[in-house]
Amino acid sequence: MAISKEIYKVLEAVVGREYISDDPVICESYRSGPGGYENGLGYERVMTRVPGCVIMPRTTEEVQKIVKVCYRKDIPYVPYSTGFYGPRSHPHVENALLIDLKRMNDFILDEKHFYVEVGPGMIYSPIQEECMKHGAYVVIGGGGAQASAVANLIGDGWSPLSHRIGLPHRRILGTEVVMPDGEILRLGSLAEGEDPFWGEGPGPDLRGLLRGYTGLRGCLGIVTRMAIKTLPFQPERLEPTGISPNTALNLPEKRIKWINFTVPSKEAQVKAMREIGHAEIGGAVTKVPLFWRAIAKAESKEDFWDIWRKENEESIANFFIVRVLLIGYTSEEQMAYDERVLMDIMGELGGVARRTKPTDESWIKNADSAGMWLMCGGYVSLDYVIETLSQSTEHGQSYADLKKKYTPPLMPDYGDPGWFQSFELGHQGYSEFLIYWDPDGDTNPVDQFYVDTSKMNIKNRYYTSLLGPHQPLYLTGPKYGPNYHEFLLKVKNEFDPKWMSHPPVPLAHDVFVERAPWMHNMKDWESPDDLPK
Amino acid sequence: MANEPAVRYYKPRAEFKLDITDMENFVYDMSRCIKCKGCTWVDHTYMPGPKFMTRCPSAARYEFDAYGAYGKMRIGHAMAEGRLDWNDKALEVMYACTLCGACDVGCKRNLDLEIGLALESLRVKAVKDGVGPMPAHKKIADNIARHHNMYGASHEKRTQWLPQGMVPARQADLMYFAGCNASYVSKEIAQSTAKILKASGTEFMLMKDEWCCGNAVFSAGMFDEAKALAERNVAEVRKSGAKILLTSCAEGYRMWKVDYPKLLNISTDDLGFKVVHLVEFVKEKMEEGDLSMNKPFEGRVTYHDSCSLGRLSEPWTPYEGKRGWMGCVEPRLQRRRGANGVYSQPRDILKAIPGLELIEMPRMRENAFCCGAGRGTQEAFPEFAGWAAAHRLEEVKEIGAETLVSACPWCKNNFSQAVKAGNTHVQVLDISEVICASIEG
Repeated sequence: MAISKEIYKVLEAVVGREYISDDPVICESYRSGPGGYENGLGYERVMTRVPGCVIMPRTTEEVQKIVKVCYRKDIPYVPYSTGFYGPRSHPHVENALLIDLKRMNDFILDEKHFYVEVGPGMIYSPIQEECMKHGAYVVIGGGGAQASAVANLIGDGWSPLSHRIGLPHRRILGTEVVMPDGEILRLGSLAEGEDPFWGEGPGPDLRGLLRGYTGLRGCLGIVTRMAIKTLPFQPERLEPTGISPNTALNLPEKRIKWINFTVPSKEAQVKAMREIGHAEIGGAVTKVPLFWRAIAKAESKEDFWDIWRKENEESIANFFIVRVLLIGYTSEEQMAYDERVLMDIMGELGGVARRTKPTDESWIKNADSAGMWLMCGGYVSLDYVIETLSQSTEHGQSYADLKKKYTPPLMPDYGDPGWFQSFELGHQGYSEFLIYWDPDGDTNPVDQFYVDTSKMNIKNRYYTSLLGPHQPLYLTGPKYGPNYHEFLLKVKNEFDPKWMSHPPVPLAHDVFVERAPWMHNMKDWESPDDLPK
Repeated sequence: MANEPAVRYYKPRAEFKLDITDMENFVYDMSRCIKCKGCTWVDHTYMPGPKFMTRCPSAARYEFDAYGAYGKMRIGHAMAEGRLDWNDKALEVMYACTLCGACDVGCKRNLDLEIGLALESLRVKAVKDGVGPMPAHKKIADNIARHHNMYGASHEKRTQWLPQGMVPARQADLMYFAGCNASYVSKEIAQSTAKILKASGTEFMLMKDEWCCGNAVFSAGMFDEAKALAERNVAEVRKSGAKILLTSCAEGYRMWKVDYPKLLNISTDDLGFKVVHLVEFVKEKMEEGDLSMNKPFEGRVTYHDSCSLGRLSEPWTPYEGKRGWMGCVEPRLQRRRGANGVYSQPRDILKAIPGLELIEMPRMRENAFCCGAGRGTQEAFPEFAGWAAAHRLEEVKEIGAETLVSACPWCKNNFSQAVKAGNTHVQVLDISEVICASIEG
């Protein structure tokens, strides 16, 4: 139902005239594509719509009032923080109300108790800067420094720093949620007062529901406030240097440094990560896709291709790198000790330390995932898998093998098995597979590859975090459950019986497969006839 | 090429130019915006914290996505596809923007999209489509046509800024182009500049009949009017035999160095004379020992990077090429990323002045927050321009500076108004005044 003038006036009264608009020009600016994460693909073209109206609340109370109006008047709505996460975070139905949360960018740092409290409009890099000024740090997720911390944490937000900090969404403390019907739910200690320092209680702890519903994307309400645990960092300032585009943080060498090693084999790579974790040293241990090195060296897109096309399957298959970030959390002596341990480990494995710049361009504060679009124009991280270290490398290789079938239109990467790294001091291995394509080409095979990867994961029994809303729920649910999909849908129906909060998530990908003719030959699973139309 | 992939990648090639008279040249750039909002946030490496996070005045003031470059790219793309037409809101979105280049620099941190040119092309389109520019811009264009200055002031009074007793040379290697603002409004800047030139022992001449540089009309998308001014002014300088064209106005500097070549489809190097801002001249004279600044200037001073002197000032080179597979272009395109703007010279000058303590604002150089005045914004959207200046002054207060120095009369003027309106205790000066005050003798 379109938003009537009467309802518009009601909403206008909530936020003020300046912060609501149904002007087609304003609404067009909230279109998901044509560029960006997962944009240009069939999912974006088939499933996203320009909102019918945009509203920008400033407070939780305003969000609550807006949502109550929507629920009462059957107006579908979508919460939106920065809009970076492509079509999944944009309206999927006509005449939806887009609730732009960028004005809710409150920030409070509790230095004594090591946490920050933020609104959904607050992004990562200011949080990290403020934390570092006070001797603390957080992980800036792979989504990038420009991502909303709240959105990123209730989705997936990790980086090489997760080697020590762990899965960042474990660091969610007290959280406030406006439920789909407008009721306010406060998790952890927020339920009993204004102090968000504790997540488990004494109030309800439904954080697992938020983050476990990976790909929540607003389909269970709107997080309006979140406390995030911070962890102690080293005290010296990381001074920014350079002029854009070549900016970096200078690292105080006795307290923090990256060292890049080459090792003789994949086995040595995995063993190095395990041993480093076992020794409980390092702030980050990672192997990133090799073409990222070409991106770092290139001065332009064309330059990238000049560098990258010198590689071949053999050169990629025989190049093994381990990047280690050492941090003297407590003292210079601690870091010197860690470095000696690291050198012992790498020495035993035949690792050779390469010359490494005394700067950080990517991970500590910047985490600028925007560079991913430079080479081809189209990009998505197709899958994230959390396994053991040795299994995560298998996952990457399986992907690389499957990918050959879809190359082109995917970019030639010569079999690079993606990004993998140690999580939580080697207790977990993380594998992320990234794909790139030219949006001007035929992208239908990219849509098909997406679903084919689900089938591969099911076949090989990999745990993938991109279940549910990122894949056809009726494909993945029965295989990961057997009643995983039924559980998710029951939760959705309980919290949002009218399906007003970002419909048709979590069945959006199921609907996409039904609507896109080029996906029909991929469908070899059962789904009900009454999927949302 | 060795190791060519087994499968041939084929992509039809599309020709394009860096020509703002045809928006089609920038549809590719519009279509590749990824909403990372690098155009809006301060470079994350330099992110100063939760207080001064953005560098786009338009997005910060109006907040809807439409006002950030990411929104404008989507709107422009929809117009190019014929899905959206102009209305009052579209005009406001496109013109309530200082074209300060922050978005362009931010985007080229990662993506190399030509955001700045795309925005300029949208304004040219607005004019071509008969909906632009804003009424204030039409008035300026009319004033220039009638009086050769944007204010509609008497043309005869243009050189009345000259200090008493100072007579410019009839012929000299250096021509000083004062511009409308310093000629009629902020005369102290033109006067200080002339004194500095004299103090360095440099003879200078003025244009025989100086006309407006056309900054406001060019920025408003009135390409033909701006081109006519460019042709006339460049011809005047060439005729004069000047080897150097010096400005003390950042906006004028950008016009002469970047936008005149753009309008005339030539390279900056092909102008036939060198374009220099006062701070570049002074820095060189200091190094050569021809100018010493010995008088103390006591106080805590901060420097505001004028957009047109910093991130917008890299020289212009025309480009025509083809875009092919994966969007690669040939021949190679040397992107203007703002890295080589005039950032260090004003700082070096201020640091050389005894007694002056230079302190930096959190947002500086390519990350600086525009004062809000430039490129016709103050005339069309005075409230917005005032807001932007007041916002920047918050940063000045945050660091406890007593004096705010810029290198452009538009910045000085706008900041001075904001200081007055906000009853703020900050002294606003142009760098020419500070240099002048420190020159001995």
